[in-house]
Amino acid sequence: MGKEQGVKRLSKRTLVEAFFILLIIPLTIFWGLTVLDDRKYYFISMLIIFYTMLPFFMVFEGRKPKARELMVIAVLVAIAVAGRWAFFMLPQFKPVVAIVIIAGVCLGAESGFLVGAMSGFVSNFLFGQGPWTPWQMFSFGIIGFLAGILFKKGLLKKNGWIYLYLCVFGGLSTLLIYGPLMNTQSMLAATGQFTLELLIIYCLSGLPFDLIHAFATVFFLLILSKPMIEKIERVKIKYGLIE
Amino acid sequence: MVDCFEKYHPVVNFVYFFAVIIFAMFFLHPVYMALSLSGACIYSIMLNGKKALKFNLVYMLPSMLVLACVNPLFNHEGMTILFYLKDGNPFTLESIIYGIVSATMIINVIIWFSCHNQIMSSDKIMYLFGKVIPASSLIFSMVLRFVPLYKARIKTISNAQKCIGNDVSQGNVLRRARNGLKILSIMVTWSLESSIETADSMKARGYGLKGRTAFSIYKMTLKDKVVIGLLAILIALVAMGACSGLIYVNYFPRIQFTPVTVWSSFVFISYFLLCYMPIFLNIYDEIMWRISGQNV
Repeated sequence: MGKEQGVKRLSKRTLVEAFFILLIIPLTIFWGLTVLDDRKYYFISMLIIFYTMLPFFMVFEGRKPKARELMVIAVLVAIAVAGRWAFFMLPQFKPVVAIVIIAGVCLGAESGFLVGAMSGFVSNFLFGQGPWTPWQMFSFGIIGFLAGILFKKGLLKKNGWIYLYLCVFGGLSTLLIYGPLMNTQSMLAATGQFTLELLIIYCLSGLPFDLIHAFATVFFLLILSKPMIEKIERVKIKYGLIE
Repeated sequence: MVDCFEKYHPVVNFVYFFAVIIFAMFFLHPVYMALSLSGACIYSIMLNGKKALKFNLVYMLPSMLVLACVNPLFNHEGMTILFYLKDGNPFTLESIIYGIVSATMIINVIIWFSCHNQIMSSDKIMYLFGKVIPASSLIFSMVLRFVPLYKARIKTISNAQKCIGNDVSQGNVLRRARNGLKILSIMVTWSLESSIETADSMKARGYGLKGRTAFSIYKMTLKDKVVIGLLAILIALVAMGACSGLIYVNYFPRIQFTPVTVWSSFVFISYFLLCYMPIFLNIYDEIMWRISGQNV
């Protein structure tokens, strides 16, 4: 029954997501091209980021999650936020991505997305909200989501090697997902235009920071993933959280 | 200084900042940008005093200049060619101006956000979204409570560990690091287990059942309704002006403004009132306070 529900849930989210991707996003882009005269990349891109996050939250709210599930998610978000806050003096050296990946692996793709998005949102109450918040929420979220999917599909197999796989996945996803997305954000914010040439320049100039961030993710996954995953699995078994 | 705009209903605050920030992203008309930017700067200084002034001058002004310089290097549209770059691309006046304009836009948004961060406290966000997205709002409020709680827990654990010589301040570097990790590990286990207990006690008290209400200290008064009405009128006027193309400026290939008419000056005044609204409300509040003081 649990599996059936899972399939149903996935298909519902896929439907909502498809509706947004196939209809609303092209309409928004079209509106941007015609009415706004193709000069408001920043605003349009923010709208698109917002649309892609919406289905996750809608489905999450729609299935009325249990208190226990909410609390475990809240604990992981709080650890991520506290971690980002504890390392505030080291630029980019943050454990957030590592904790989001662990959440995705232990609690599933959907919760992984939520932990990521909420960590980005709440931690910006300490670091300052801005037009970059939706981008950060999406970047963290999608990494958690991918970690959950890859783990379920068996690409990150649960054997002795999983921690190594996780480190590789963490480093790559930080470097190839979080970095480019945030570089696109700063490019659009700074220049208001979108060209490949500019994007390459922004990615190159952001590369040192992205490398530090990727290194930090690998480092934190190396020391945190084994104990954290064990702890969460233990709590899942002890309190019967597995459906 | 005590800010009076903060004391309005969260809906008022939210609608105001939503509108002002969206408009700030949209309008690339220099006059409208100057209005919005001056309003944002004055209000941020009213809210944060010297800190805001320093932030605006030390961080915002230089980053604006840098951003303004980047644009003409990559954007070669425009009719007025000043000179040619080494790679043969033209360096145009229009692209310099467009660079300054788009840099001002982002600075403007950031300064508005700095005001927003001061006014929209987390409890207001909770109040606004608690009904629409209850589960996510609950996570949000729990996280806000957990962060200081975890800090206190780490302190407790570290004190206990100190008694048996396992604190981060004891031993050599390697041992200290291991002790630190151990303290973190204890904290995570403690938090995960206690969170399940919290969840169970929430369930026992009827979390998620029908007919439960949420506590809130916000009440929509007449003052709030008046301000919301005013806001709605101003936003509608500005949006109508924007839709009819009054705030549009063409930058490429040549800078073209729309001509000034009676209607466009009306839109201009509306936008001015909108951007300066919290400032005017504060001044009004101050005057009323003084008058009431004289009567006593």
